[in-house]
Amino acid sequence: MTVHDDTRFDSIAVLALGALPPAESRELLQHIAECERCRKEYDEMRGAVDALALSAELTPSEFGGAQCERLRGRVMDAVRASVATSAVQPAGNVVDLAAKRRAAPAWFNYAAAAAIVLFASFAGWEALTLRSENGANQRQIALLQAQLEAQTREANGARAQLELESSRLADMIAPGAARYAVQNGVVVRSGGRILIALRHLPALPKGRTYQAWTLRRGAKTVTPSITFTPDAGGLALVELPERAGDVAAVAVSVEPEGGSKQPTSKPNFVRSLG
Amino acid sequence: MVDADRLMARVRERDVTAFEAVYDSSHRLVYGIAFKMLGDQAAAEDLAQAVFLKIWTSPEAFGGGNFGAWIARVTRNRALDMLRSRAARPESEIADDVPLAGSLDETVFARLDGERVRSALATLPAEQRTPIELGFFGGLTHDEIARQSDLPLGTVKTRIRAGLKKLRVALEGSPV
Ligand SMILES: [Zn+2]
Repeated sequence: MTVHDDTRFDSIAVLALGALPPAESRELLQHIAECERCRKEYDEMRGAVDALALSAELTPSEFGGAQCERLRGRVMDAVRASVATSAVQPAGNVVDLAAKRRAAPAWFNYAAAAAIVLFASFAGWEALTLRSENGANQRQIALLQAQLEAQTREANGARAQLELESSRLADMIAPGAARYAVQNGVVVRSGGRILIALRHLPALPKGRTYQAWTLRRGAKTVTPSITFTPDAGGLALVELPERAGDVAAVAVSVEPEGGSKQPTSKPNFVRSLG
Repeated sequence: MVDADRLMARVRERDVTAFEAVYDSSHRLVYGIAFKMLGDQAAAEDLAQAVFLKIWTSPEAFGGGNFGAWIARVTRNRALDMLRSRAARPESEIADDVPLAGSLDETVFARLDGERVRSALATLPAEQRTPIELGFFGGLTHDEIARQSDLPLGTVKTRIRAGLKKLRVALEGSPV
């Protein structure tokens, strides 16, 4: 046990504020766990910091009206979508694709919900990249600019964010799941299954459909997989009928209704599941 | 928030109405923190959406206690993740201890709102308030605050502690 020393109190305040670097935080938390005086001090500081957070709460006149309604609509739409996904009961021993999707195991529903969360925060990252110049808070912009100096390339940031989100997704779906970033979404391989989650898909003209493709291991050409239509919000969550172990790569393209035997348009993405 | 424990128990049972009540009671706090930290309306909306969907998909993450304090911590952590991954900082995780012990007395907390805390905060001298806000909402570490304000690290730490103490006293004495 480390010996108590009042000089730690300043660091404890910084820790409670959430501004102590990780290594120091860990060390100090270890001491706090063993030292009653420091624990009491820490608890007091945490209380002040919890209250501090409330200072950011906006009043109805600061955050209301159309913007407030829009956000509420977005959140509730996503919640209802996840309810719709998980409320459907397994359909017995039918083997058609739609039934296969209805009978999807629990992890699929979690993955669907997780994908919505994933999109939400990934969209946030993009928004931050694209629109930070327009931010209202000048100090925040200065801060961002300072942080940007530390950034080597934009792609690194994107990868870091995606890795971060992917790690969260992993919490919610079966252990051992593998995730592959693709344009507008993610391909998840888990428990022998392949899930594609895409967002912001444009609605297609009549007579056209989205189609998934798989490249079997050792094959030279792609094999047609299922066709699918995104929901009104451009969101699609699709489980492929193929077993993951047989598949080396996944692609999606736009095809004539009913699907094609070979791709007839440039794919939206081709992703190797290496 | 009144009855948060009971509402969250219903959310765990997939009760959409209970979730709506949770949303309505906390969205101005969640969005407000997100906006203050990210400085951008669209990014703040996306972050708020992510927080609420996380609550919907993993309601068991709330282990009881002061819901307002908990959701504020969740929101700040997510905003920090975003700021830090944006800056590609090497060590992005500040140790996060989940237990809510030590939060302000719940009866004190319950009668606080944004405005009350803002006026309590305004009683702090700027030399205390600024490092506190930079650390909490700006997501800076104490060394970064020291560098940015051109002050010795020890001074920054002392001022943060003095400011938080003063804030706590001001809030506990704040009129009902
Ligand atoms: Zn101690």
